[in-house]
Amino acid sequence: MTRLARPGRLVTLPRVALLVTLALAVAVPYVLRSYYVSILALAFIAGLLAASVNMLAGQMHLVSIGHAGIAASAAYAVGWASHHGYGHATQLALALVVTLAVSAVYGVTSMRTSGIFFLMVTLALGMVVFGLTYRLSRVTGGENGLPGIWRPPVVAEMWQFYYLCLAVLVLAVLALRVVERSPFGLVLRGIRDSESRMSSLGYSVAANKFVAMIMSGVVAGTAGVLSVWHAEFVSPASADFLRSALAVIMVIVGGVGTWLGPLIGAGLVTGAEHLLSTHVERWPTVLGLVFIAVVLFAPNGIVGAARDLAGRLRRSRARRGHPETDTSAGTPPAATEDSVTSSAPNR
Amino acid sequence: MGQSITRQARWVAVSAAAGLVLLAACAPPSDDDDGSVAESGTVKVGFLSPVTGPVAAAGIEMREGWELYWQEHGETVGEITVETIFEDDAGNPDTALTKAKRLIEEEQVDVIVGPLLANTALAVADYVTRAGIPSLQPVTAADDLTQRKHHPLLLRAGSYTGSQMNFPGGQWAYEQGHRRAITLCPDYAFGWESCAGFVRAFTAAGGEIVDQLWFPLGTQDFSPYVTEMRGTDADIAFVTSAGGADGPTFVRTYHDFGLTDQLPLLTNCCAMDQATLRDVGELAEGIHSVSYWAEGRDSPAVQGFVQAYKQAYGKLPSLNVAGGYLTAEVLARALETAGGEATAEELIDAASSIRFEESLYGPLRYDEYNNPVGPVYIRVVERNSDGEYWNVPVETYEDVSQFWTFDPEEYLQQPPYDREHTGQ
Repeated sequence: MTRLARPGRLVTLPRVALLVTLALAVAVPYVLRSYYVSILALAFIAGLLAASVNMLAGQMHLVSIGHAGIAASAAYAVGWASHHGYGHATQLALALVVTLAVSAVYGVTSMRTSGIFFLMVTLALGMVVFGLTYRLSRVTGGENGLPGIWRPPVVAEMWQFYYLCLAVLVLAVLALRVVERSPFGLVLRGIRDSESRMSSLGYSVAANKFVAMIMSGVVAGTAGVLSVWHAEFVSPASADFLRSALAVIMVIVGGVGTWLGPLIGAGLVTGAEHLLSTHVERWPTVLGLVFIAVVLFAPNGIVGAARDLAGRLRRSRARRGHPETDTSAGTPPAATEDSVTSSAPNR
Repeated sequence: MGQSITRQARWVAVSAAAGLVLLAACAPPSDDDDGSVAESGTVKVGFLSPVTGPVAAAGIEMREGWELYWQEHGETVGEITVETIFEDDAGNPDTALTKAKRLIEEEQVDVIVGPLLANTALAVADYVTRAGIPSLQPVTAADDLTQRKHHPLLLRAGSYTGSQMNFPGGQWAYEQGHRRAITLCPDYAFGWESCAGFVRAFTAAGGEIVDQLWFPLGTQDFSPYVTEMRGTDADIAFVTSAGGADGPTFVRTYHDFGLTDQLPLLTNCCAMDQATLRDVGELAEGIHSVSYWAEGRDSPAVQGFVQAYKQAYGKLPSLNVAGGYLTAEVLARALETAGGEATAEELIDAASSIRFEESLYGPLRYDEYNNPVGPVYIRVVERNSDGEYWNVPVETYEDVSQFWTFDPEEYLQQPPYDREHTGQ
């Protein structure tokens, strides 16, 4: 493919859709009432947490069901600092320190594990954080939690806060994409495919897993800070197993290893939890059925299924004799590009 | 490809940033509210309770109590129609908060009733009162709602604080001649506050606490605790629970270990509520408990309510039902005095100045922190003429305040109760 062809390729259907979606997201506070704006902000925050789980799950096949613990630690840091009269800058600094410390604990304890063992270690750590939030009541307020944690004045209004969440989400997704495509991202993928091969090539598997956990933890911590600002309150429920499990469900329903999937999953789960529940008392059942249906009929998640469908359409159109509509496959250079990234279906 | 991705990324980032800067300058329209609670002759009540999740049973009962009142009295107070919109908070603070937002911003409700759990109530109270919406609490016992975090727009209409409902238990135990007590309470805020109520009154009277045991949420096996109790020289055991399966499980264990005849037992409201008595009533017969609610109290108000509830739902009402019912009564009487033109402050003022000669809990009024002052009963489990087990009061402590006999200001200087601090 020549350089000349590139400008034409910049205007593809997914990109137009992406820009339209972004434009719509920006327009939301002008169109919807503030309650829906606040639900959407909640979905963005959930999407951020799901994206942090997805980074490990997609690139390294390490599924964490304890990430709510990291998010909750950051949230409690903000809450504690706010209750002790510190300004927002100090609150954020403390949240960062706590996030790094907790992620480091997660990283150190899990860096030599994979598969089911990684899952169990993160589950246990998540429960430890949950237990601590309950028991250290002088610090965390115990079961009652810490109320009255106000947002910074700049984002005091819900619509302002909504834009903050949107901006953070966009930036985080971009940053995760950059990491994924960096040499470091390739190392992570190498570790996923064969740990022994990577260590014999001279890479430290544990160290790379540790760094990946820290990166993922920072994104989760950011979600925690935003969530405490959204609710202006934090309680042990935010470190609950259910929170961690829902984040994993978001990733699986949306599509593991895709950047869009966790966001779609977050939208679905948040929608079910907060909007559907108003009309359907048995909303957890509905969510469960959706999850089962996805696992049975779309094992690669909604995004995976959509991609399969698009691929099938394209192939059948190609067979009918319109090869020019086939844009991504066919020419040799594109094919080699695909082979580099084929193990991570992230288009 | 990599190049075009970075270009795409840059493009998106720049446009997003530019959009944000532009938008931050001009605010979207905001919804505004008017002053009075019932502008068009209708009061809209947002009722938050958990009807799914681990505390669904209690949340459903609270709702049933509320509905029973309006079924009996009609959904109008004078010219004002009371319309209730129910929402499920699943017992989760975050869900409760978004549901409260929906009720206030979408449904434009004039009053919020609920939620049930302490942590959900504390999460919601901040938001609701800041929005200028009056809030009535039917069941929540969290001390701080009417103590360190009390708010003029929030009234604990249908419940006492966790420590308040147990103070008389300590006093009674001392008066019965007990001097050494061992306590067993759930290891979170409600348990700490409940235990603190008993411990403070018992030690203030002159009793001594031999040991304090704490059980975590979801404990299925009480035998270690019961064994521990048997090993001490305590002459009374004080046991609390927030309801659910703890009560019956504990009673069974206590009985199986033969302690029923050895170590006198006093429980709180909810370890001996109807859920326990329906399950293990026979074993519980004769056990004493302390609560502000007694379904076996011989009063027309209580017995009329018990019969009505039994007819509608086929069982005896628990304190959650009574809380829901009494809260509805408080709202109705407040609307009657304040009228539909009342502002949020006027409505809560009208509600908190109600003096009940006789209510489901007995003679009742509210203190300056918007918390009830009223009787607390020492109850004993008996079998009634229909063969059901229920709690009959054997002794009444009138005018129990959330500060017991202590000075309110001094009392509020202390830190909130926790495991290490139950006021010994």
